[in-house]
Amino acid sequence: MGFAEPEAEDMVQDVFRTFLERLDSFEGRSQLRTWLFGILHRKGLERRRASVLDERVDPIDEVFESRFDTKGNWTRPPDDLERLMLSKEIGELIRGCMDGLPVNQREAFVLREVEDLETNEICKILAVSVTNFGVLIYRARARLRECLETKGLRKHEVEPRSKP
Amino acid sequence: MISCKNVATLLMSDQLQAQSRWKRLEVRIHLAMCKFCSRLARQIEQLRSGARRMSDAEEADSSFEDRLIRRLSGQ
Repeated sequence: MGFAEPEAEDMVQDVFRTFLERLDSFEGRSQLRTWLFGILHRKGLERRRASVLDERVDPIDEVFESRFDTKGNWTRPPDDLERLMLSKEIGELIRGCMDGLPVNQREAFVLREVEDLETNEICKILAVSVTNFGVLIYRARARLRECLETKGLRKHEVEPRSKP
Repeated sequence: MISCKNVATLLMSDQLQAQSRWKRLEVRIHLAMCKFCSRLARQIEQLRSGARRMSDAEEADSSFEDRLIRRLSGQ
């Protein structure tokens, strides 16, 4: 769920250890997958005690808000990222941008978009309300989009110079 | 009339399905007419498909699993 690889390996081992220890208490009330992801999420929480608290205010909200006027019309519409999105390196770029997400936003994004889980299941795993999940996925997408936009700009700056 | 900001927020926060049928229709009509909101909607899709492709590619690289199996089996 978006941790650096050596840390992720440790965590997976940790999850399986916990899984074996607590197998007795798993009564099939939740799906096994939900349960395992839930353990993984809590292991993640333990590892970043300081950032457990959900940020009430996230600067990305303001970044996104600033794209609209008071009537809600776009003043700074999204850049055209079509070429970037279709480029070969888009996977790499997204990976790089995902590394910059706060962990809870990354978890929400991965569980929804990569693991393709239902909202209810994700809320159980992350122990958040549906509204809270909405905020997490909104912020994750806003950050990723802004990040790709920046990378797209940089690419356009570099490309003309690299041509012979 | 629903504003671009409303539409964008609904799309970004995955709240569209929770809206009334009327609201969803309003969003669909807005998307058909608004170049920038439909661009945003497409980018949300592209983020999803890009992240999936990335994850598939990483899974295909089995070195992580190999290492994990080795570690789990205590070698």
